Amino acid sequence: MESVPERISVQTNVLNANQQTAAANRQLFSDRGLLVLNLMSAPGAGKTTLLEATIDALRGRFRLAVIEGDLQTDLDAQRIQALGVRAHQITTGTVCHLDARMVARALDAFPIGDLDLLVIENVGNLICPASFDLGESLRVVVCSVAEGAEKPKKYPVMFNKANVVLINKIDLAAASDVDLMELERNVREVNPNATIFCLSCKTGVGLAAWTDWLHSAVELRSTAAMASA
Amino acid sequence: MHEISIAESIVQIAEAKAREQNARSIQVIKLRLGTFTTIVPDALQFAFEICREGTLSQEARLDIEIVPMVVHCVVCEASTQPEKGVCLICAECGFPLKIVSGEELQIEYIEVDSEREEQIWSQCPSEFQSRPMF
Repeated sequence: MESVPERISVQTNVLNANQQTAAANRQLFSDRGLLVLNLMSAPGAGKTTLLEATIDALRGRFRLAVIEGDLQTDLDAQRIQALGVRAHQITTGTVCHLDARMVARALDAFPIGDLDLLVIENVGNLICPASFDLGESLRVVVCSVAEGAEKPKKYPVMFNKANVVLINKIDLAAASDVDLMELERNVREVNPNATIFCLSCKTGVGLAAWTDWLHSAVELRSTAAMASA
Repeated sequence: MHEISIAESIVQIAEAKAREQNARSIQVIKLRLGTFTTIVPDALQFAFEICREGTLSQEARLDIEIVPMVVHCVVCEASTQPEKGVCLICAECGFPLKIVSGEELQIEYIEVDSEREEQIWSQCPSEFQSRPMF
């Protein structure tokens, strides 16, 4: 026997395994005509409050459930359950993002057959979740005004991959000395195609535009699923 | 620190490929990494050193080729490399830009030590070699 150094071509994307699981999740959602949101933001941007306000506005209009991703606690899932909405908690421990496998495992214990909308609230983080497809229909990034107008420039990958950007806490614009137009322009610079909504969950301003848009998306999705069934 | 998840995947992919080829150990893993990803090369090297323990990659070197971001305007045909910050609106004509490269996260190849049978001719019966040549 002799030792022979040898080069073997691989040509494989490192995220291949995650992408395969995400594709399987996506198929599962698609078969059921289910619209799935992957909700992402920095910690404290107001994802859960926004979710509460969205549930409040859409309650009774269709069936929805929430999967919560968090490092340690199930506090967010408790907040959603308090509204009478089914919520499942994924506790990631120290992992800074959800991946497709975690969602697939959660789906084993969390029936989705009777739903129109599933919201997956990712771990609060503007870096890591950007790389991991979960099989969602839409990526929704929440950015609060108080984080400053330059947030999209600092985290371009996350904002670039968003389908929808929700600029939240606009009631704090003056107090935070942030120009909303500038923030919106900065989102457009890294993602010219994003759908943008400016809103405040505290005052309710702008919230209806977002929830009406989401309502139509859910309806279009289930109509499309029925047409192809 | 999602680099740990990325490093785990790199080690797994390399391991599967090396075992498929009956390799004894992996010497080099060549990775192409775009600048428009969220992955920090130094953090990835550090994570790789942890994840490779106890695998065929235990002694392997992770060669990272950095692929710069290139954007292209489909309207005015300008191609540029964003230097500071990323703007996906064409400076020339104001249309949205297409990302041509910079999102790579791909294992190109691995270099392995294989155990290969000695050459066939050396195992031939000696009578062939000792036979008179005329």
